Amino acid sequence: MDPVLEEVYSTVLSGAPYVIGAYALIWVVLMVFVIMMLNRSRKTQKDIDALRESIERRKERTSRPDDVPTEGRSED
Amino acid sequence: MANESANEREAGGGRRWSSGRWTTVAIVAVVLGCALTTLDFLWAFLRAPMVSGANLSDGQAAIINGTVVSTRLLFSQKIFYFHVPVAIVSFCFIIAAAVYAVMFLARRRESYDLRSRLCMLVGLVFIVATMISGDLWTRHDWGVWWVWEPRLTTYFILMLLVIAYFILRAAVEDPETQARFAAVFAIVAAIDAPISFFITRLVPSSIHPVVIRTDSGLPPDMLVPFLAGIFGMALVGFGFFRLRLTLEEQAMEVESLKRSYEELLD
Repeated sequence: MDPVLEEVYSTVLSGAPYVIGAYALIWVVLMVFVIMMLNRSRKTQKDIDALRESIERRKERTSRPDDVPTEGRSED
Repeated sequence: MANESANEREAGGGRRWSSGRWTTVAIVAVVLGCALTTLDFLWAFLRAPMVSGANLSDGQAAIINGTVVSTRLLFSQKIFYFHVPVAIVSFCFIIAAAVYAVMFLARRRESYDLRSRLCMLVGLVFIVATMISGDLWTRHDWGVWWVWEPRLTTYFILMLLVIAYFILRAAVEDPETQARFAAVFAIVAAIDAPISFFITRLVPSSIHPVVIRTDSGLPPDMLVPFLAGIFGMALVGFGFFRLRLTLEEQAMEVESLKRSYEELLD
């Protein structure tokens, strides 16, 4: 290669990893945030489902007053 | 808070429908933002022309595509196409947090406090991304990981202020006091955003270049990826903000369900 052109393009090979690294790391940071949001969403959704189920069960129980509550009943 | 009843209404069925619609909008915004930033990267990497760096040794010159080139061409400058958009979006979120904080102080609505906090959170994510990408650029072009020059210093202070904002929130237990203190702090922190943005103009000796100029005259091959980066990152940021808001609404639903369950137990 022409030595002048070699000097003109001398920063390309040394700079490319930094350019790719900067773009990749920006997305790593953003993805970490997304993963944190997804984990929290999954946990919150699980809590919502569990609470709804508990409320439904409780309502069913209170709507049938003759039923003997199972909570705290010892196994004979 | 003064608007408890309004919040309760907000937490009702109407909000749920709108929340679902916003989630769809947020996901579309993130996907579109990803597409635009990918276009930004590919265009910047493969098509955008390199800018001139130091003069060639012995005053030599080369002719490339009919143009006389007497300087080294800086490939690392291509970091500009995503580092600057991320930084601009971070500034926008910090300013938005301050605007919501002012609205909270004026109207005392919990939803404004929530939005202010989320703007700060998304702003912090973009600040960290800016710091990392900027560090790589600094390392390559200036040969050091960090230098205490005005832009970097004021931006570092901004990051510390945003972190301090969350420490302050965690330190105050009473929700109303916490929201009030946090709102004032968000406004104070946001003052640093324009200072950091304009510092390269205020301190001409700064080695950080003035990026946004009316006389920049960016050719289309540089302007297109830059604008794609700005709009892409803005869409990603907006999507994150809306998704996080949906999460907070889910958390409010958990609290509401817990209260309902406790009422049933009584």
